[in-house]
Formats: sequence, structure tokens, C-alpha cells
Amino acid sequence: MNSDDEHSHNVSLHLDNELSDQELEDFRAHLADCADCKSQLEEEQALADLLHRSRPLYRASDELRARVIAAQDVSVSGHVPERLHRRVLRLLKQSMGPGELTAFPWRAVATIAFVFVLGMVFVPTIARHARAASYVDTALTTHRNYLDGKLPLEINSESPEEVTAWFAGKVPFDFRLPTSQLLPNDQPAYRQVGARLVSYGNSYAALVSFAMKNDRISLLVASSKSAEAYGGEEIVSRGLTFHYQTKGGFNVITWTTHGLTYALVSSLHTSASRSCLVCHQNMADKGEFREQ
Amino acid sequence: MSLTPEGSPVVEAAAGIEHIDGLFSYALVLTRNRSEAEDLVQETYVRAIRAMGSLRIGSNVKGWLFTILRNIWFNQLRHRRTAKVVAMDGEENAVDFADTAKDPYAFYVSKMEHQQVREAIQRLPADFREVILLREFEELSYQEIATILDCPAGTVMSRLARARTKLRTLLSAAFKTSDFARKEVME
Repeated sequence: MNSDDEHSHNVSLHLDNELSDQELEDFRAHLADCADCKSQLEEEQALADLLHRSRPLYRASDELRARVIAAQDVSVSGHVPERLHRRVLRLLKQSMGPGELTAFPWRAVATIAFVFVLGMVFVPTIARHARAASYVDTALTTHRNYLDGKLPLEINSESPEEVTAWFAGKVPFDFRLPTSQLLPNDQPAYRQVGARLVSYGNSYAALVSFAMKNDRISLLVASSKSAEAYGGEEIVSRGLTFHYQTKGGFNVITWTTHGLTYALVSSLHTSASRSCLVCHQNMADKGEFREQ
Repeated sequence: MSLTPEGSPVVEAAAGIEHIDGLFSYALVLTRNRSEAEDLVQETYVRAIRAMGSLRIGSNVKGWLFTILRNIWFNQLRHRRTAKVVAMDGEENAVDFADTAKDPYAFYVSKMEHQQVREAIQRLPADFREVILLREFEELSYQEIATILDCPAGTVMSRLARARTKLRTLLSAAFKTSDFARKEVME
């Protein structure tokens, strides 16, 4: 490479931040005296500026984002047996030294049988945990994407009846909003804003959005065949078990009733019981959510 | 997508979702077909989740995702032998121009410029399109690009230089438009 080629080459390296400190210093010194390199640098810079103004080149659609989230959800659920398999292998390795499997077959058989029994006991629980965690994750991601404007509502309505009718035939279950009896002459503390469909697993779930002062609350509704309410702090009210947890800075409450699993996501900074009370403050069942 | 100190992967909802625009752009640059690009991106995330166990602490997740996407695409190509080239539809809807919408003239210029950039890039040969996307839009280093393309960093440098020369020629009209528009705005 001759000197001219080298300097020309350095123009690109300079623009791409690939010069070392010393090289950069030398190049700057050269640039002060070289009109050709200065001109080339300006040309290259103009092209780079034009390209940078066009970022991103393309933007993924909301539908693609939803598809990716749904696909990951399925993938994560499908991962549990593999992880369990690895755990079993590790347990086997720990319990037997190298070569022991062939040297003491009865001990190996006993270990495998023990692990198998453990697996029979714990696999359903692990799978249940995984399904519940997956549903909570989906509810959180959906809520975040909604807050970020990536999941615009498909119907804007304050009417529960209108939203219920809108979901009819769109989701593979009989959609129904959770109900709670208002105290006489009182208004609910929250206001329904609207709803939209979201992907969940290989199907759809219903997202209903509520507003309370400056806060937004998301309610994700899916069939209990595909979504589980499990884990976290448990609060029992009127025969229903509510599972409360804080994740990613949000409060999430999940529960199952009438073949549907609900996940309520909010940013309310309070304990489980009080979080329920915020919405139920004017409801007839508010006594059920007193701090325990 | 992150790793715990013990090195075991932590599965978060929508892991690596912050790279979706970049991956989608890369997929479109490779496939030149919207529906194929979307399928490619989805498959990339699915494979990534499954392969998370192979990631180590401090791994370059972004580069890893781009590598997965590229490998899937070239495997598909090998099976198909020839790639379908189908005109892309609805490009106007693909990019959000909300930031420039306050000034209709600036919006028009920006939109026209963006369109010219896309068209020029899509007219480049495939290997040029890739390096331009990975360097100018994703800001990956020569070494990171070399890892994705599975070639030496020197090849990335020379390919990038040739791609830029070609792109500058293709975009000469866009340069004139930009200069003209800027002068008009200043006057």
C-alpha cells in the first residue's frame, strides 16, 4: 500500500472509529496539510450523514413484535423439560464418580430411580411454575409495549358491554370482564379505556386497558387451558385465590375463574392487599382486601 | 436477554426485543421480501431462546442475534438454491416519520431521502448490502461484522470501501436533493 492509499484507507478507518489513539493523532496531523484527504473525508462524512439520517432503515411492525413475543413464549415453555433433563444429568454426575456407573450398576439404578421419583413429584410443579411465569411475562411485556405506544388499542370504549361484544369471535374463549359490586352512589376508582387483541402462545389473548388518574392498568385475559395463575403472595377473597407479585417494577396480580386466567399489571406502589384495595375502594367487597 | 453471574441464562419476556428493528432491516436487506424477512426474524428469536445456554457472560448478544439470522437465511438459501426476489410492499408504512411531521416540507424531503437511501441500498449486490447495513445502521465494528460474515476483518474493510463507492454513485441524486432542500430552507 503506497502512502496515498494508506491515507485514503485511514479516512474510512477514522469515520468508522477504528483508528488507535496514536493513529488518530497522526491522521489528524496529516489532515491539516492534505487537501485531498480533507476533501475525501468530507465526501465520506456526507454519505455517512445521509445514511445515519435514514435510521432505522426499516421498522418492524407491531404484528411482528407480537409474533416474536408469542414465539418466545412458546419456546420458553418448551424449554422446561430440557432444563430438567440437564439438571437430572448433573445430579447423576454429582452422585456418581467417573466410571462408577459401570462399576456399581445397582447404585446407579437406585440413583436413577430416586431422581425419577423426584421428577414425578416435582415436574408438574415446575411445569406449572413455568406456565404461570410465562403468562406473567407476557402480561408485563404487553403492558410495557402498550405504555410505549407499540400496542395501540383497537377499540376505544368505556363500556364493558361494548368491549365484551367486540371480543366475541375474536378470542378462542368466552371473554368476560371481572366484576365487582359497587357501593350505592359510588363510582369505580378506575376507568376503562379500550382493548385490543394480543398474541399469546399459538392463539390470542384479550388486553383491556384501564386508567386511574395518571396510571395505566392492563388486564390480560386468556383461557385457563393455556395460562396459569400460580406462585407469588396469595390472597384469598370470595373463593378466589389472587397471586400477587412485583416484577420489573410493576405489580402483577393473577387469578383464575370461569375458565379464564386474568393478569392485572399496574405501577401502583403499594403492598398486595392495598394494591387490590386501590381499585376496590368503592366496591362492596373492599373488606376482603384489608391489610393482613 | 441477560446472564446471571453463574452464567445461566435468565429468560426475560421478549428477550433481545430492542434489536428487532435492526434484525428486521438486516432480514429485509438479505431477503428483499417482507414476509420472508418477518419469518426470518421470528425464527431468529426462537432459535436464540433455545440456544441461550451456549451464551457466556459478556457475550455480544446483538452480534450473536445477527449471526443466527444470517445462518438461518443462508441455510434456507442452500435448500432452495435460489432466492425469490419480490418487490416490497407498503414501505411508506414501515417507518415512522412522526418526528419530522411538524414541518411538512422537511417531512417531504426526509421521506424522499429515506426512500432514495432504501432503493439505493437494495440495488447494491448482496454482500455490499450486508456490510453497509451492519456498519452504517447497526454501528458494528469491523471485527463484529467479520464474525457475523465469517470472514477476515480486512475483507470487511475492502468490501465496505467498495460498497460505499457504489452507494455514493447511486445516491448522487439524493445528495443533490438534500443540498437543494437545505439551501431552500436556509433561504
